[in-house]
Amino acid sequence: MGTPCHFALFELQPSFDLDLDQLATRYRELARGVHPDRFADASEREQRLALEQSASLNEAYQTLKSPPKRARYLLALNGGELPLEVTVHDPEFLLQQMELREELEDLQDSADLNGVAVFKRRLKAAQDELNQSFAACWNDAAQRERAERLMRRMQFLDKLTYEVRQLEERLDD
Amino acid sequence: MAYSEKVIDHYENPRNVGKMDAEDPDVGTGMVGAPACGDVMRLQIKVNDAGIIEDAKFKTYGCGSAIASSSLATEWMKGKTLDEAETIKNTQLAEELALPPVKIHCSVLAEDAIKAAVRDYKQKKGLI
Repeated sequence: MGTPCHFALFELQPSFDLDLDQLATRYRELARGVHPDRFADASEREQRLALEQSASLNEAYQTLKSPPKRARYLLALNGGELPLEVTVHDPEFLLQQMELREELEDLQDSADLNGVAVFKRRLKAAQDELNQSFAACWNDAAQRERAERLMRRMQFLDKLTYEVRQLEERLDD
Repeated sequence: MAYSEKVIDHYENPRNVGKMDAEDPDVGTGMVGAPACGDVMRLQIKVNDAGIIEDAKFKTYGCGSAIASSSLATEWMKGKTLDEAETIKNTQLAEELALPPVKIHCSVLAEDAIKAAVRDYKQKKGLI
């Protein structure tokens, strides 16, 4: 785990609930401060420092703005890093995922843009619900297992969101 | 990513894609997922009275390597006993398909799916 923590870079306390607009504004301000252009005339050491700061800032921002990445990061802060590549056995949820993928295939076959819009709304609602559940339990050591399961589910839904975007692009062409 | 010929073959002509009745007492279902890439894999086996896997089906949403790994797994399981099927290792799948290191986890997922399907069947039959 790099120091200082991603949240500290933004002068925030570790928390799952974040104002993403505020985070983006703060990121732009901070990024300006360490932009390489500002250090064109500085010493080599200062330039290198600025570059490092810029990279950690970017990494922190990418992690914090994504709910599953933020969730995984919070769990790592609380009790050790969780592997990225794992096999999950979460039968009901996985069955649901499979059905959603099948639905998405059907939407692709029928080129149903309205259907895609409805699908997106349902997906967003499921993500909001998942985020709320995670926010309520991640900081409770007794619910660690549940928080991990919810984080993994977020990762699946994140990937599904990506698939939906891909489909939209294909249908737009 | 350059896929090996075997991966492409399984990807373009997947063997044994399909679904069995998960409620059938002779069917074992393994459902596994890889959250980071969002892959979902369902592998099912139908076992006859002699304890031989007489049929296997799969459905995988994921990359070419995940599809090829599960396709190959169903091919290899057919005709085997449960114990034999359980000895199939991800390294064998990965080697046969010439998976690159970054795709090894796809074969791990397939091995985990085999184990989950066998476990589900054994649980149904009260064997474990």
